[in-house]
Amino acid sequence: MAVLLWAAMAAPGGKRALTPEAFGKFLRWLSDDDELAVREYQSIRRKLVSYFIRKGCAHPDELFDETVDVVVGKIELCAEYPPLNYCYGVAKNVWRQDVRERKSISLDGDVVSPEHPDTGVHEHELKCLEHCMEQLAPSDRDVIASYYQGEGRDKIETRKLLADGVGGVNALRIRMCRIRKNLRLCVVDCIKRSAN
Amino acid sequence: MNSSLPDRRLIREYLLGRLDEQKEPESNLSEGILFSDELSEVVESIEDEIIEEYLDGALDSADRNAVDEYFLRPLERKNKLRFARLLRHHFETRGNALVTPPVDILPIIGPDVASAVGWRHYFRTYGQLAALILLCTGSLIYISRVHKNQTRLEGQLAQEREHFATIVKEVPPLQSSLVPLTLVADRSRGDVMQIPHIEIKPSTQRILVEIALQGHSLGPFDVHLEAKGKKGPIWSAHLLPLVSPSGDGRLVFDLPVQGIESNIYSFVVSSAPRGSARPKYYDFGVKLTG
Repeated sequence: MAVLLWAAMAAPGGKRALTPEAFGKFLRWLSDDDELAVREYQSIRRKLVSYFIRKGCAHPDELFDETVDVVVGKIELCAEYPPLNYCYGVAKNVWRQDVRERKSISLDGDVVSPEHPDTGVHEHELKCLEHCMEQLAPSDRDVIASYYQGEGRDKIETRKLLADGVGGVNALRIRMCRIRKNLRLCVVDCIKRSAN
Repeated sequence: MNSSLPDRRLIREYLLGRLDEQKEPESNLSEGILFSDELSEVVESIEDEIIEEYLDGALDSADRNAVDEYFLRPLERKNKLRFARLLRHHFETRGNALVTPPVDILPIIGPDVASAVGWRHYFRTYGQLAALILLCTGSLIYISRVHKNQTRLEGQLAQEREHFATIVKEVPPLQSSLVPLTLVADRSRGDVMQIPHIEIKPSTQRILVEIALQGHSLGPFDVHLEAKGKKGPIWSAHLLPLVSPSGDGRLVFDLPVQGIESNIYSFVVSSAPRGSARPKYYDFGVKLTG
């Protein structure tokens, strides 16, 4: 089981020094129950990858794998600690090491380009977005359409009204954040499905 | 919203990498985010806010640099930025189609329905003939009212249509908020009289600039914008070129139009760190219209 999970969960394209045996050891440390161990692993992975992203790391998946490598090496010493706390302690050191080694910035792509360089891909993304807009709950669709409506002063006024309607500015920010996230995941999924 | 959550400005500083050297606040916030789903969601909303302001051109140069050099390093964030642009593009081009028509033209069913039910009861009680007469009279009144209502609604609808057509005529056509500017020849190569000119309309928010880098090194560049007759740069950035497989480099970036007036401007491009090569000047003219 650990071998299969190890193969499936390794960061795509990432270097992995961890053996299936060591990975199995890591899972056993998380829980004696296979299903719980996998769930715990996925939760820790999601949280620590997000941590590395927030810390401006260019390769968060690889840094997570490095973290697991270090934890597995010390697994006998950390048996009594809650796994997430211990992994986070290690992740902090991995991040500091990454900062020390960080070279000057290198932009992977044209981040300022307003559209995907391939017109066909951009059109496809727009189609997927339209499809995903239709999947939204009508109230969410109304909120996001109003949010992006108008320009300048009109836009500010519209957003004020929207904020009043949903319980304040912060509530609107959170609502918009959730809607955008749902849309983004839906678009990514739509693009993936049409590529297969 | 929980009032014990950290201040949004502090979270913003954290996301722009400015707390990395401050052990305690950095650790407190990192741990808070890791263990609190509520805080984690607030942080995500601030990330979105930073991206929106970046796209609006509302960030000052220090924040913009922090976004370019720290915030946008992970691919996930670049994808978020690209998605935010896609979303804007969608609403810029399709936004109008989403507006729900405000005219309510549902048929009106008034108290006549209740009275029609009463007449049926009357018919059962007092005989077929009387009921038939009453029913006919009632029906005629009912049909007449429906007709009147229909005529009134049609009149209102026609008025609304006329009003809408007038508004549509008054609204100026939507214009792009981006103006492209391609600069190929620097001052030493270009003819002073033939420098490119761009028009900035009231709807323009940003200038999308592309500078072809003939003979430059491929390292990072300091780019300053200078206006003719004014001292010092009015905009600066530290940029990396995009390099094609054939080795040609170009700088692609966008510039907010705030503070830009009708004048002659120059992008001064020098290799960073300064020293080795002489800076090159790419001149262009700006005309504010509308």
